[in-house]
Amino acid sequence: MYRRKLKALGHHHPESFDVHNDQEFRNLVVWLEDQNIRLYKIEDRGEIRDVKSSEWLKTFRKYLDDLKCPVDLSQKVSVVDWLLAHAVRVEYAENAEKYNNVGQMDQSNQTEGLGESSLDDSLMNLTVDNPDLKAGVTSLSRLFSLPQHPDHFVLLQAVRSLIEGKLSSLASKTDKKSDKKADIIPLHKVDLGFDTGDSAVNEAAKIIRLLHVTELRELQTRINEAIVAVQAITANPKTDQSLGRVGV
Amino acid sequence: MAHHRTFKEECSFIDRLDDNSFLIKKGFVPNMKVEGIFYINDSLEKLMFDELKNWAGTQGIGGFLPGVKQIANVAALPGIVGRSVGLPDVHSGYGFAIGNMAAFDMSLPEAVVSPGGVGFDINCGVRLLRTNLDEKDVQPVKEQLAQSLFDHIPVGVGSKGVIPMGAKDLEEALTMGMDWSLREGYAWAEDKEHCEEYGRMLQADVDKVSPRAKKRGLPQLGTLGAGNHYAEIQVVDEIYNMYAAKKMGIDHPGQVCVMIHSGSRGLGHQVATDALVSMERAMKRDTIDVNDRQLACARINSQEGQDYLKSMAGAANYAWVNRSSMTFLTRQAFGKVFKSAPDDLDMHVIYDVSHNIAKIEEHVSFVYQGAI
Repeated sequence: MYRRKLKALGHHHPESFDVHNDQEFRNLVVWLEDQNIRLYKIEDRGEIRDVKSSEWLKTFRKYLDDLKCPVDLSQKVSVVDWLLAHAVRVEYAENAEKYNNVGQMDQSNQTEGLGESSLDDSLMNLTVDNPDLKAGVTSLSRLFSLPQHPDHFVLLQAVRSLIEGKLSSLASKTDKKSDKKADIIPLHKVDLGFDTGDSAVNEAAKIIRLLHVTELRELQTRINEAIVAVQAITANPKTDQSLGRVGV
Repeated sequence: MAHHRTFKEECSFIDRLDDNSFLIKKGFVPNMKVEGIFYINDSLEKLMFDELKNWAGTQGIGGFLPGVKQIANVAALPGIVGRSVGLPDVHSGYGFAIGNMAAFDMSLPEAVVSPGGVGFDINCGVRLLRTNLDEKDVQPVKEQLAQSLFDHIPVGVGSKGVIPMGAKDLEEALTMGMDWSLREGYAWAEDKEHCEEYGRMLQADVDKVSPRAKKRGLPQLGTLGAGNHYAEIQVVDEIYNMYAAKKMGIDHPGQVCVMIHSGSRGLGHQVATDALVSMERAMKRDTIDVNDRQLACARINSQEGQDYLKSMAGAANYAWVNRSSMTFLTRQAFGKVFKSAPDDLDMHVIYDVSHNIAKIEEHVSFVYQGAI
């Protein structure tokens, strides 16, 4: 499941890496730290490099803390995924220009056949009840600290709206555009207008209403954009001062 | 009436509910279907009762009908539901008191619509524009700015506007309301959101607006009119609710705003006059009894009632186009004086509120409001 990230980072056997093999796992951690992450100075990497040590797990736990990894070590699979993603981020941040150029060249040269070659079989043949998909959605939702839901489709939608709203490049762009920070109104200062008799339900109702208002606002903004586009064609406001006459 | 009541006798029909409201009980005027209520502060309370006292002193002969009597007369109109309400700007008006609000149940065949309830200046209202200017930016150029506004927005009785309009433009404006202003580029896309009814009443029918009304309205678009109408440059004095104010783009005392108070000019007046004439006939035909001739009305479901609502909606649309045109001209005037685009001056509409209008609202009732 880490094949792409491992390959991207230049791992020597991305196809056969087995996260449940403890030795491979420990070696990978050391390799990532040495090659990409480089959180510690070389002379301070002694303990983490000592993969045979009985204290290694303790060292690793501290390492994750130092990295501010949000995933708990009990979820080893997710931790590895996070480490790999972090390494990719570091690698990209250091060589952004290089990779951006490659991306552009790729786009111009390889638009053909992209569909088949880059989407591997596992994605092409993905079905809704695929257990891998379920597991993936569940671990994603844990990463985002979303409450669990029995229907992984509902969870996936929640993950999607969270990413769209908070993490996508578009969202971060609009955040920057409105350069002043959004005003934060404490929930208890929001007026619900009615009382359900249950404070938790009241709060939920307030949240739903605020979300609803936000959605309406987005819709109205899109409508306004459409109106502005039409105005570019139809609008021709005129004034003629000679018509004006002041009354008595 | 057999005998005229004394002021004291009249007052026996009016109960104080609390510090700020009074109830008008049935029997205060004949045929009251519901009770009346009005809201006051100390000075308004004195005014209301002085009006009644003077009127009672003249035994009801001569002088104008006091506001309390008018609220009660409205409570006697066929089809009224709830109460006849006098809002806190209440005083004597035409038929209805100014600030008199009433709802009618459209499912009742006898329910009426009365042009007096809407008023002669159909869809008269106030609109507030904000700017990102501060009082100190405006002080040094006050004279130029005022002059620029006068140049763009002609005022007074018989004034004519600077926006060229043909007969076809006017018909479209009456039909489309602010959508016309948008299409022609006199309004910003966001403006509509801040208006009641999104600046357009859909039931407008230009064919129900008389040629005379159209003729009066044609040259007047983009003019303020006279009387209590105004376009004012105002300064924010005090902010009571910071969250709400910020949402409206008001964030500090001293911020400069522009308020425009105007309506449907001669066109609306003519629509109301035309309706009153046709309704007098309808009242005779349908034997509708009212306490005051000024309360001329017609059944909502009669031809006259429907025609009035359609022409009123056209006049309401005219008023929104008028305020939008003046918004456009205000933005131009500011743009010229401050040598920047109205966009950069952040000249958005904060609100546009109508106070002379009849609307069909949910619960299938029928609501008038009249104020100022």
